[in-house]
Amino acid sequence: MSAHVTELLSLAAAGALDAQEQAQVAAHLGECEACAGEAAAWRRVAAGLGQLSAARPSRAVVARTVEAVEALLAERAERAWNRAALGFLVAFAWTLALLSWVVIDLVAGGLALRLDRPVGEAAAWYAAYLVAGWLAAGVAAAFVGRRAQQEGRIA
Amino acid sequence: MDPDRDDAARLRRSDTDGLAGLMQRHQDRLFRYLLRLTGDEAMAEDVFQQTWLQVAERISRYDAARPFAPWLFRVARNLALDQLRRIRPERLDEADEPVAPAGTGDDPFARAVALERSSRLLDAVGMLAPLDREVLSLRFEAELELKQLAQTLGVPVPTAKARLYRALARLRERLLTRAPAGEWR
Repeated sequence: MSAHVTELLSLAAAGALDAQEQAQVAAHLGECEACAGEAAAWRRVAAGLGQLSAARPSRAVVARTVEAVEALLAERAERAWNRAALGFLVAFAWTLALLSWVVIDLVAGGLALRLDRPVGEAAAWYAAYLVAGWLAAGVAAAFVGRRAQQEGRIA
Repeated sequence: MDPDRDDAARLRRSDTDGLAGLMQRHQDRLFRYLLRLTGDEAMAEDVFQQTWLQVAERISRYDAARPFAPWLFRVARNLALDQLRRIRPERLDEADEPVAPAGTGDDPFARAVALERSSRLLDAVGMLAPLDREVLSLRFEAELELKQLAQTLGVPVPTAKARLYRALARLRERLLTRAPAGEWR
């Protein structure tokens, strides 16, 4: 008779043996009543473990979970949209600023020539206008950001 | 096509249908696993919710070339163990020692199991350490293959096999302990 395989029987019932071990167990069980009895006991335990509980998450827990995940996904989508919108606005503002520089330069240059005024003065006014515009936009953005942060904290 | 991969891809695009599909297929066994591991319904419910939130948050890290279940259970495991460690840091691998076996016989284990009722099996499992309960739940309730079980535990396959063997051996001790002595003879 081959050597007892008691040590392998629990894992055999758990379906956790490799092919060689399985063959070893199968060969031995055919010729050993004691090990065959133990193997049957382990199979019953394994079946019992599989049917131990029919517990399921309650509908309320599932609903709460779905709601929380949906809120997270919505927040994530909103953040992505905000980032894209902000990127577009910055690019748009820069394009506008650079284009307006050319236009204003042409107009101011033409006017300066007609009025016989120095061109540098128009450029200085334009630069001041740009700086003031960006400063105002920066302050507004900081206010809006701070308010959004506070609202998020309260929510 | 693997429906889990399709649904994970949907969830990555923030499509809630992806979440619905994944939850429908995995929520029951995930909940049973958490219930078994934590031994506490309120904690299991809490970790259940946290797990799906983290799945939605980190779905971009999921490698679609691998099965979804081990990744899901690993997320749940990390959250559950964090909570358990906060409550009882030293007890995850410990259980109450069984009292002396209730009797002996030619094949006491086979007799004990033959007499076993599911409530006794449940009691015996409940007496195990959380990490032993966990490995049994992953294999028998969540029905993870040994390789998937190893992925969930984050250990090599031989180590997972050794843990499964150890948990089953301890369960055997508990079953022998709890079988009434009179019924053995």
